[in-house]
Amino acid sequence: MREPIHTWLALGLALVLAIVVGACAGHDWATPADLWRAAAGDQALRSRLLVEWRIPRVLAAALVGGLLGLGGVIFQGVFRNPLAEPYLLGSAGGAALGATVALLVPLAMPQSVLLPLLAFAGAWGATVLVIGISRVSGAVDAAGMLLAGVAVAAILGALRSFLMLALSDETVSLQIVLSWVLGGVQTPSWPVLGLLTLISAGCLGLTLLLAGRLDVLGLGETMAVAFGLNVTRFIAVAVLAGSVVVAAAVAFGGLVAFVGLAAPHIARWLVGPLHRPLLPASALVGAIVVTLADAIARAALPPAEIPLGLVTAVAGGPFFIMLLARRLRT
Amino acid sequence: MTSLVADHLVLKRGGATLLDDLSLSLGATGSVAIIGPNGAGKSTLLKVLAGIEKPLSGTVRVGDRNLTSLSSTSRAQTIGFLPQYFDPHWDLTVQELVRLGAERSDHLTVDAVDKVIGTFELGGMGRRRWSTLSGGERARVLLAAVLVVDPPVLLADEPAASLDIRHRLDVIETLTRRGNDRLSVVVVHDLDLAFRFFERVIVLDRGRIVIDAPAHSLIEDRRLDTVFKVRFERLKTPDGLLLRAMRDRP
Repeated sequence: MREPIHTWLALGLALVLAIVVGACAGHDWATPADLWRAAAGDQALRSRLLVEWRIPRVLAAALVGGLLGLGGVIFQGVFRNPLAEPYLLGSAGGAALGATVALLVPLAMPQSVLLPLLAFAGAWGATVLVIGISRVSGAVDAAGMLLAGVAVAAILGALRSFLMLALSDETVSLQIVLSWVLGGVQTPSWPVLGLLTLISAGCLGLTLLLAGRLDVLGLGETMAVAFGLNVTRFIAVAVLAGSVVVAAAVAFGGLVAFVGLAAPHIARWLVGPLHRPLLPASALVGAIVVTLADAIARAALPPAEIPLGLVTAVAGGPFFIMLLARRLRT
Repeated sequence: MTSLVADHLVLKRGGATLLDDLSLSLGATGSVAIIGPNGAGKSTLLKVLAGIEKPLSGTVRVGDRNLTSLSSTSRAQTIGFLPQYFDPHWDLTVQELVRLGAERSDHLTVDAVDKVIGTFELGGMGRRRWSTLSGGERARVLLAAVLVVDPPVLLADEPAASLDIRHRLDVIETLTRRGNDRLSVVVVHDLDLAFRFFERVIVLDRGRIVIDAPAHSLIEDRRLDTVFKVRFERLKTPDGLLLRAMRDRP
C-alpha cells in the first residue's frame, strides 16, 4: 500500500514487454505484427507454429519464473537470510532425482505425468528429510537446517549421477536427462499451460497466507515468540509451502539456478521488505527474468538451444558473488 | 490487572543449572528490578516468565491462568517483552515495525498505532528505516512496538544498557512509570538506577533469589557485596545512599 502504484504498473508493463520480446525471439525471429496475426487466428503454418509452440513456451517460462520468485521469498523469509536459495534446502536435488528416475526407469505411466509427479515427490521428500534431520539432531535453527540441506543436496546429487551412469543405455538418451537437469522450460500444450497457470495462482495465494507471519519471523526468533508466533511450527509449515512452490517450478522448468535468489532481492529494492507486497513483486520480477533468459536460450545460438539453467547461472552467479561481497564488507 | 507467579522453576542446559527451584510472586502493579552478576540467570528468568523459554519443571501463572494454557496470541497481548538485543533481519520502517507490534492484538485500531507513535515522539520518522536510526531512536521504536497493545505485564531485559545516560534515564523512567498501574519487571545492570527508580529489587545469583526486598532497605544489605564479589562503599548523598564498588582485597 505504501509502494506507489506506478511500481506495479512498471512491473506489469515490463512483464508484457518481456513476453512480447520472448515470443518474437527464436532462431526464426517473428515481428510483433506476426504475433498479432497469429493471435487473431491466422491459419498459415508460421502463425500456427507461433500459437502452438512458441507462445505457450514463453508463457510457461514466465509462470516458472514467477514460481521461482515466490519460492525464493519463502526460503529467504524462513531462513531470514537474503543469501538463502530454494536449492540450498535440497528441494531441487530431490526434484532432480525424481525426474531422473522418471526419465530413465521404464514405469507403467506416461512420462508427461510421471516426471512432474516424481519431481514433486522428490522435492517434497528431500525437504521433509532435511526438516527431519535437523529435528533429530536438535538443530531447529536456520543455520542447522541450511547445513542439513546442503548435505542432503550433495547426497541426492551423487545418487542422481549414479542413476544416470547406471541406467542410461542406447534406448534412453542421457541428453534428455541432462537438458532437464540443466534447466529448460518444456513447451506445454494449452491444457497443460492452463494447469500450470492454476498451480501458479494457487501458489501465490498459499504464500500470501504466510506473508504476515513471515514479517513477524523476520524480527528474530525471540521477538517472534514474544509477538505470539509458534516459530517451530510456522517454520515447518512455511518450508513445506515453499517446497510445494519450488517443486512446481522444477517440475515445469527443470533446474533453473539463481532466479530464486535474485528475484526477491530486486523486488525488495522496489517494494521494500514487507512480505505482502514482496511476494507478488518477486513473482513478477522472476517472471520477467526467466522470460528474457529463456528468449536468450532459444535465440542466442541458432539452431541449437542453450539450456536455460546455464543462462541464468551465468547471469546470476556474479549477482550472488556481488551480494556476498557486499554482505562480507558490512 | 494481571499478577505473575512463578512456582519452583527449574531450567538446566548443558549441565549448567540456570534456574534452581526458583519461586517468585509479582503483584498486578509495581516496578520490580532484577539485578545480579553475569550468568545469574536474569535473562533466562525473564524469558521463562514471558513464555519464550520452557522450564524443565515448575509453572508460571498469569493472573489465574497457567502460562502454558494461554494461547500464544493472548500471551503476546498480556505480556510485553523487551529483549536485550534486537536487530530485525529485514530493514523495516518505523511505522512497519510498530504496526507489526500492533498486529499481535486482534482488536486494535489504527488510532493505537498513531497514539503510540505520538507518545514516543516518532511522528517525524515513520518512514525511516531501522538501519538509519540512532541507538536512542531504536530504543523508542522498540518500546513503541512492544507497548502499542498496552500489555498489563511488561518484562524488559534492560534494553537501554548500551545507550548514553540521558536516553537510558528516558527508557528506565518509561518502564518504571508503567509500574504505577501495571506490572513492570526490568533486568537492570546499573545498580544505581535499580535502587533509585524501582520499588522492589530482586537479587539473583546462580539461578536462585538471594534477596527480595524494597529498594531502600536493600541498599544496606551486606549480602550484596557477597553476590557481586566486591566491597561496596555506601556513600551518603542528599537523596540517600549511593553504592560505589571497590575491589575486595582479602
